[in-house]
Amino acid sequence: MLPLAIIRDIDDYSKIINEILKYNITFNILKFTTGSSGVNLLLDVPEDKIKMITDALTQNKVVVNKKGRVIVDDDKCIDCGACLSLCPTDALYFDESLRLKFSYEKCIGCLICLDSCPRRAIEEM
Amino acid sequence: MPKSYSEINQKIKNGDVVVVTAEEMIKIVEDQGEQVAAEEIDVVTTGTFGPMCSSGAFLNFGHSDPPIKLEHVWLNEVHAYHGNAAVDCYIGVTRMADIKPFDYGGGNVIEDLVSRKSIRLRGTSYTTDCYPLEEIDTYFTIDDLNQAILCNPRNAYQKYVCAVNSTDKTIYTYMGKLLPNLGNAHYAGAGCLNPLCNDPDYETIGIGTRIFLGGGIGYVMGEGTQHDPKNGFGTLFLKGDLKQMKPEYLRGVNFEKYGPSMSVGVGIPIPILNENLARKTAIKDEDIETEVIDYGIPRRNRPVLRKVNYKELKSGKIDIDGKEVKVSSLSSLFYARKIANELKTWIEDGIFFLNPPAENLPTNTTYNPMKQVSELKFVKDLKKPAVTCFDDCDIKVVAEKIIEENTNHIVIIDKDRYLIGIVTSFDVTKAIARDKSHIKDIITKKVIIAKDNEPAEVAARRMKMNDISALPIINDEKQVIGIITSEELM
Ligand code: SF4
Ligand code: SF4
Repeated sequence: MLPLAIIRDIDDYSKIINEILKYNITFNILKFTTGSSGVNLLLDVPEDKIKMITDALTQNKVVVNKKGRVIVDDDKCIDCGACLSLCPTDALYFDESLRLKFSYEKCIGCLICLDSCPRRAIEEM
Repeated sequence: MPKSYSEINQKIKNGDVVVVTAEEMIKIVEDQGEQVAAEEIDVVTTGTFGPMCSSGAFLNFGHSDPPIKLEHVWLNEVHAYHGNAAVDCYIGVTRMADIKPFDYGGGNVIEDLVSRKSIRLRGTSYTTDCYPLEEIDTYFTIDDLNQAILCNPRNAYQKYVCAVNSTDKTIYTYMGKLLPNLGNAHYAGAGCLNPLCNDPDYETIGIGTRIFLGGGIGYVMGEGTQHDPKNGFGTLFLKGDLKQMKPEYLRGVNFEKYGPSMSVGVGIPIPILNENLARKTAIKDEDIETEVIDYGIPRRNRPVLRKVNYKELKSGKIDIDGKEVKVSSLSSLFYARKIANELKTWIEDGIFFLNPPAENLPTNTTYNPMKQVSELKFVKDLKKPAVTCFDDCDIKVVAEKIIEENTNHIVIIDKDRYLIGIVTSFDVTKAIARDKSHIKDIITKKVIIAKDNEPAEVAARRMKMNDISALPIINDEKQVIGIITSEELM
């Protein structure tokens, strides 16, 4: 399973779900939030279905964000943890000595953490 | 056997003082008991490192030639307070830069100062006979200043609350980014390492106590502002020589949509004068209780959702009403530990001595709310009846109502008065110009609403932030019970 990034839809999120259900696949909703841009959904769908679903959603005027990832600038980071609670996949975590670590593998590029860092240490790649 | 300050200082001189951190003390007292611990341990070091908004520094630039009496001062475009003598100023950490306001502020200026970076000084004056210069624009580093004194009216909270957000929108606060529907939680402070938690009766921490401040030596000036000892929320007023401090322990931070602040490193040594202090410094995270507060409600008394202790907070997850919520800190525990350890090394190396306070901190003061002379107005005090139409009516009917009732906003409801949407006179004009006849073509369905018991100012800000001029008011059943417009709020 691979994540598909955020979907922003101003109307009704059931439209998105129904659209994906047509493909008869199992998928996970990793995050459901409402923001100023509407409903944000972070979906986890099988890799071989990504293109199909992206096309279907785009046709339905649903904005599909390209998968992006972040990097953490260790020089700026002060190991506070203000980003930690926001990460849905534990890609941002503390090691045993309580220093912030970032797992590129776990990051799904949801960008929820991006504006949470008071040191501006998290940057979009 | 009680110990005295001079006995402890003699041991520091001799090089045989026994110092442990507050975290290490827990196990020592657990294994050996208070009595043995009190005999064997001389000093317990504490530490905390987190954003402390009530911080800043007094700077003195020396006199220019010809002299200037600064009226307004900017340091790297951050306005500093100038209400003292000609070339003194106070740079506060939460002051935003005039350019890049949310990205750079007073906290960054102080970090840049201690990093020995060059700072731009810009100042203006109304001029006097003794201070004829009107403007100054120059650069300096901390080494060019006569004095640079970190002076923080409120630091080192004994403990702090844990913040969550119950609303359906992400909010940006001084407690960081809070996701909707209790999506995450943030707390502050270092728990069992927090200085005041280890001396909760303020027996040893008082006026004049020598401390670790920002990587240098500082002093407690007294109780901090909003000192609230009865509720276990004591605070400290701190000062220290900024020139000795290190950028590692004074970090400018900028919270998205909130603004700048500074993370300050504070460490305080607690002399183990008696068994009581041995017991108190062995305080555990689970003994320190605080509250989970809903920051979604923008009132002074925000709802308390549950009690929680620092052990639960440090575990990374807390349970709120059966929901598992990820929780993290805004204070760095890594740096809190580092500070407690660094202070420990200073004492062991014989370069830091302990002193009794000149006076103890008050234990009986209360923290009162602001006195406001005008009465707080609520949405319900200012609301008027909403002019409504049903969702199936014709645009012509809507247009007639706008004229009849002399209003700009028509709230669209269903037969049970449930809110469907809103239509403005502008929408109707547009519809007529474009030959549309159905409400559904022009209705705004994503309606921003207000509630009866919200302060009017909160509703006013919501209108401003969303660039709209009216909010339908709904009850708990989501039925329309009125409207509030910018006219009533003026
Ligand atoms: S973008 Fe940030 S919040 Fe999202 S998965 Fe990556 S690290 Fe976590
Ligand atoms: S919020 Fe920023 S500074 Fe704090 S731990 Fe995360 S990346 Fe580091």
